[in-house]
Amino acid sequence: MQNFWEYLTKIPVGLATVFKTLFEKPVTIQYPEEKKPMSPRFRGRHQLKRYEDGLERCIGCALCAAACPADAIYVEAAENTNEERYSPGERYAKVYEINMLRCIFCGYCEDACPTNAIVLEPIEFPTGYTRESLIYTKSMLLEPPPPGVPGTPQQTPPGKYDRAILPFPPIDESV
Amino acid sequence: MLTQTPTPLNEDALKVRVEDVQLDITFEQLKRLVSPRALTGETMLMNMGPQHPSTHGVLRLLLELDGETIVNCIPDIGYLHTGIEKTAEGKTYLKAIPLTDRTDYLAPMSNNMAFCGAVEKLVGIEVPLRAQYLRVILLELTRMNSHLVWLGTHALDLGAMSVFLYCMREREMILDIYEAVSGARMMSSYIRPGGLWRDVPNVFFDLVQRVLDVFPKRLIEYEKLLTKNPMWKDRTVGIGKISAQDAIAWGMTGPCLRATGVKYDVRKAYPYSSYDHFDFDIPTGTNGDVFDRYKCRMEEFNQSLKIIRQALKRLPPGPVMTSDRKVAPPPKHEIAYSMESLIHHFKLWTEGFKAPEGEVYFAVESGKGEYGVLLSGDGTSKPRRVHFRAPSFHNLQPINEMARGQLLADLVAIIGSIDIVLGDVDR
Amino acid sequence: MPVVVEVTLKSAALIFVLLTGFAYLSLLERKFIARLQARIGPNRAGPFGLLQPVADGLKLIFKESVTPKGVDKPIYFLAPALVVVPALMLFAVIPVGKGATFQLASDLNVGALYVVGVMSLAVYGIALAGWASNNKYAVLGGLRAAAQMIAYELGMGLSVAAVVLMASSASLADIVAAQYPEQYGGILGWFLFRQPVAAAIFVIAAFAEVARAPFDLVEAEQELTAGFMTEYGGMKFALFFMGEYVKMIAVSALFTTFFLGGWSGPFVNEAPILSVVYFTIKVVVCLLAFIWVRATLPRVRYDKLMDMGWKVLFPVALANVLVTAVLILLGLPGYRL
Repeated sequence: MQNFWEYLTKIPVGLATVFKTLFEKPVTIQYPEEKKPMSPRFRGRHQLKRYEDGLERCIGCALCAAACPADAIYVEAAENTNEERYSPGERYAKVYEINMLRCIFCGYCEDACPTNAIVLEPIEFPTGYTRESLIYTKSMLLEPPPPGVPGTPQQTPPGKYDRAILPFPPIDESV
Repeated sequence: MLTQTPTPLNEDALKVRVEDVQLDITFEQLKRLVSPRALTGETMLMNMGPQHPSTHGVLRLLLELDGETIVNCIPDIGYLHTGIEKTAEGKTYLKAIPLTDRTDYLAPMSNNMAFCGAVEKLVGIEVPLRAQYLRVILLELTRMNSHLVWLGTHALDLGAMSVFLYCMREREMILDIYEAVSGARMMSSYIRPGGLWRDVPNVFFDLVQRVLDVFPKRLIEYEKLLTKNPMWKDRTVGIGKISAQDAIAWGMTGPCLRATGVKYDVRKAYPYSSYDHFDFDIPTGTNGDVFDRYKCRMEEFNQSLKIIRQALKRLPPGPVMTSDRKVAPPPKHEIAYSMESLIHHFKLWTEGFKAPEGEVYFAVESGKGEYGVLLSGDGTSKPRRVHFRAPSFHNLQPINEMARGQLLADLVAIIGSIDIVLGDVDR
Repeated sequence: MPVVVEVTLKSAALIFVLLTGFAYLSLLERKFIARLQARIGPNRAGPFGLLQPVADGLKLIFKESVTPKGVDKPIYFLAPALVVVPALMLFAVIPVGKGATFQLASDLNVGALYVVGVMSLAVYGIALAGWASNNKYAVLGGLRAAAQMIAYELGMGLSVAAVVLMASSASLADIVAAQYPEQYGGILGWFLFRQPVAAAIFVIAAFAEVARAPFDLVEAEQELTAGFMTEYGGMKFALFFMGEYVKMIAVSALFTTFFLGGWSGPFVNEAPILSVVYFTIKVVVCLLAFIWVRATLPRVRYDKLMDMGWKVLFPVALANVLVTAVLILLGLPGYRL
């Protein structure tokens, strides 16, 4: 009898709880049209950054490849010349490939990069139909040069870019 | 795992039945696993999993059924074996952290903490107090995250489908915190040897406050939907009982053990990360059945909230990473002007830091139980051996003890209540 | 118009309405349950997702028809039809509106008996599907179905018997009429209020009869993957699905007829078409309740379900019939014939 009373009184409480949700706003969103804002720290797709003058930040040191726990990065460096300059300093990344199928998006490459060249940005994720299409090459990863600035290679005056690592401000840990 | 006395059998008939269930074991082995009645056709051998809606992944159970009553329940694991322990041997200590995310993927920060704690113990690293308190907040959020998935799937297993979606709704708040602090919603790798990856962003405190404000209301809803629901009690009270003695003998830990009345919690027994600074209780049960496990975990939600409130209030300022440059990379902007920083940076990201020779065991109380890491260093920057003491694995072991004599529908409740993650079981 | 033509046309119209209703019921369920769970629900196919049932249907039609090894072919293929046909047949006697236009055979003088009889036929389809599939989960599902439906048929039959006693007729048209005696007026005459125990038993038995949550043990996906339909795919599966949903509509329509006053409502005499509207509204409310319960309650365990069927529902229903008979004999207000 006790049990019967419980059935009679407690089940409507549960039903009412569910019914209340009917008047709440749905928490799901219409994904491709509507996107959830991502946190500034979000580790999305990699991007190779440039300086304001259009030169690439990447100096081809391959520390990212060394730091990668998944061995997803392949870097082949070559020498810069003043006639054909890609990045400050002596060397630049001639080949820069990330295998997005291996990548685990841990952000170690970003942490390791001494020039802040590779950054995991909260942008669209790599998708594709074939394995080959998911090996991202340098041209796919490199961000476009700022407006009104030529891309790389550039012809530069000798002596202007003799340092590979240019000073940059500390990371802002409040965002 | 099973102790059936082998009896003379009608071998030919059983051989046919072995083919029927397609086991990777020999006929002789099977004879020891099932009861003699399976042979005459009196009981039925049935595969549950690895593809089954309520085995929580790729667990496979070979069931011997008498009608719907379970005579034997033989777990067959290994379908999600990823070789994480072996892989970790080939990685530096820092690079092994993303691997730990992927063992119990519903509680990544607990795993990070266990591994980093072991490394810190092995190398002898002091962690700043702010990092310890932040770790506590994140670990408790992780426990809630793990428990929310457990509650949702457990309720869904028993047919209360709305609870699953409500739990996912609440979990979203915690995943938002993960995303804000670490940049990833699941595979955080946020806790590093010596502290944390970075300090928490400003928005972190608002997000945690939101959890603290919203969650108690949601807990009341769950109580209304489940705890007080007589239909829920019908399905859980007295099901899958295990005694305290058996639970200890099988190595069960966490809420599964506490439900039997044993007050063992790593946070109290062997405090780590300043857990002894906080005031909280360990909820225990009495019967060791599905309902008590459920009640223990539900009460742990409240205790987690309590710990988070205390830690937030007393959160000290200061660094979140040890200043020991031999372990933690220097602040990155220094490398543009300091040669020493540059050398440390390159050294740490290529070779990593060296750990002394020796063996340590470090355990944390994850949402599922005692998550321990046995780390054996050999003087190089890579471990000689890493072993994860996965709570899911130990909690799954006595499933035959718990399920024997119960109905098929109860087995679903039992699997749900021991809260296994197959990534954790198989590693 | 010759009777044969008339009946054929009416049946065709009824089946068309039911199959469309089934399709949109599945949409309604998905939409409503989504909102109960703070989701949006299907809204991509057509405006507000209104073409979703069409998309589902097309998908199921174009699925490869797989016949597993070792099935008992004739029974395997026959079973889905055995589930759908009785569900559709139920509607033959249900008066969906006022007047002969909206009725197929509601003046059948054993209508209530027909309903109980036809309802129990569906169990054959399910049990046979489970048996013929050559799958252990399917067998368990089929056995559960057989046991569950037989147990709950008794309760349902006896609750209907109480209603028949009250109306002193087994014709469904008469039962509707009996819920509007002069002295009551309005909804107080509904058997829901004059026979609350029978109504409660009917509701519980109805959940078990159509095997909907919390009594969906027959197909309990967390236990038996899909129960008796584990081995069915494509259109064969669609037929089972159709059977379940049409039966759900049928049970709702029966509850409306037996306890909610059927098609009656204000102004039906002036505009008979209103009666169909009232009937539809009442049925949809019942269906929403079905869905609402599914979203909330955990599944009952098999043995508890059987316990409840035999040890609670059956005796209570029996006692209810007895008490009703005594009350009618005494001529108490509300029970006077």
